[in-house]
Amino acid sequence: MDTPLVVLIVLTSVAVTSPLYEMVFGKKSLKYVQYLTTLSLLVSLILLISSTLSLTPQESTVPHLLRNDTLGSFFSLMVILVTLFVSITSFDYMKGNSNERIYYSLLLFTAIGMTMLSFAVDLLVMFVAWELMSLPTFILAGYNKQDKLSNEAAVKFFILGALSSGILLYGISIMFGITGSTNLDVISQSLTSLSPDMLPFVIFSTISILAGLGLKLSIVPFHMWIPDTYEGSPTTVSALLSAATKKAGFAAAIRIFVVIFPLFYFDLSLALSIVALVTMTLGNLAALTQKSITRMLAYSSIAQAGYLLIGIVVLPYTDLGLTGLLYHSFNHAILQASAFLAVALVRLKTSSSSLDSYNGLSKIMPITSFCLALSLLGLAGIPPLNGFWSKLILFAAAVDGGYTWLALAGLVNSAISVAYYLLVIKRMYMDETSIKAIKEPFMFISILVFASAIIIVTGLLPNVIYDIAEDITISFLANNPV
Amino acid sequence: MEPLINYFIVSAALLCVGIYGLIAKRNAIRLLFAVEIIINAAIINFVAFARYHDTPLITGQTFSLFAIALAATEAAVGLAIIVQAFRLNNDIDVLELKKLRG
Repeated sequence: MDTPLVVLIVLTSVAVTSPLYEMVFGKKSLKYVQYLTTLSLLVSLILLISSTLSLTPQESTVPHLLRNDTLGSFFSLMVILVTLFVSITSFDYMKGNSNERIYYSLLLFTAIGMTMLSFAVDLLVMFVAWELMSLPTFILAGYNKQDKLSNEAAVKFFILGALSSGILLYGISIMFGITGSTNLDVISQSLTSLSPDMLPFVIFSTISILAGLGLKLSIVPFHMWIPDTYEGSPTTVSALLSAATKKAGFAAAIRIFVVIFPLFYFDLSLALSIVALVTMTLGNLAALTQKSITRMLAYSSIAQAGYLLIGIVVLPYTDLGLTGLLYHSFNHAILQASAFLAVALVRLKTSSSSLDSYNGLSKIMPITSFCLALSLLGLAGIPPLNGFWSKLILFAAAVDGGYTWLALAGLVNSAISVAYYLLVIKRMYMDETSIKAIKEPFMFISILVFASAIIIVTGLLPNVIYDIAEDITISFLANNPV
Repeated sequence: MEPLINYFIVSAALLCVGIYGLIAKRNAIRLLFAVEIIINAAIINFVAFARYHDTPLITGQTFSLFAIALAATEAAVGLAIIVQAFRLNNDIDVLELKKLRG
């Protein structure tokens, strides 16, 4: 089956029609919208899981635009899973908002953009998917219209997001000028037979594309909007931004860099390794000093982008790099979504996201505290949770690819990061509070418990996801030699 | 026919204007203009490169049509957000937006 097209059709049919149900069904329509959104995401998720596990997917009907390969299925599986988490938890989080129906439609549009981006092998489709992913998130970030903080988050996000697509478009236009095509396969062929005096243009184009992508991937120096936007926007949306849109951006980055790397991989790899080092160090050091947990998680998300970047740095040297990148993307998506959604629940119930409101949380919201603690430990990379194994693979890949210093820097950074993660857990479990116990909503809790179950199971059985990532790497690199 | 480099110079100049606008201006609407100028610089590139390619290409024009449509969408979303910012703050100076601080 042609998975990308089927998934896109399923999601689009719901996303386009769901805002109209209010006219037909009146007040009841909200329930229908919620159920249909969940149902369409579940159907897509099942399709994508089966397509990821089948190692010989059928060729797509538009093979020069969307390629039906396991790499794309894996990334879209991740983003659809996170979108599913976010949409179910939003039943409670968004309750009472006047435009609740449109919210689910926008979530689905973001999911469509991310799915397209994971499968796209043409720069035109990639750019359209990029915009389709970005535009709904600008609106979602400012969804609480009367809230000044939410609006400020949206303004900052919009200006930098629009800049990112502008710069990305400029980089693509130069690449089109050099190679005369927007298809990544054709680009890859024409770049190998390129005259050396065109190299400056390729470098300029690469830097532009990297800057455009980097704004979404939260790479330093393009990270300034991250903490503000994650703090101001509704926290479920922050979960979506940090766990899903970033991963889709990495899918696009892998596809583009596999093509560009063979040209001048030595310099580019070194440059990216420095960016990775600065990203993880700055993210971890800034997270240490934060007073609000959403800002702390935002900086930790920046630091994790630094770890993920190691996978791209060593792409030309070792297969382990891509495996580690895929593996850590999956784990990071689950961990970050779980952490942000737990924070969303606390924010919903106590209307505060400052670290002080986490004092003694384990006594008033025991299940939430447990899930949050688990995902924070996973992000810190404590064995036997899944975050440990994928970080291990990434650092091993760095050593294997000749970047031992980067692996060491990563280890030091992981050690630093344990400090601020444990601080939150200490506040939740050791400190006292005067607030009475709070009832935790059932849907929210079931999602958190489900995410925690994934964290524990994939941590205790690390080879499940690792084997899938390895198979994907082998089949991807066989088609796209670096 | 004009040499290709002239078109490229215009587009590079527009890119510089756009980046200057993003750095130097504080009004959110002007920042939106600056981004649109960058997108238009890329559109000029697409059309010029497609026209001057050894074999005539349609991809460049197609891409520029897509880019124009997407730029319009982006402006619509951006203006909606900025209008709401003006309603809340009576001001669209982006440097005055500093409630979110670490």
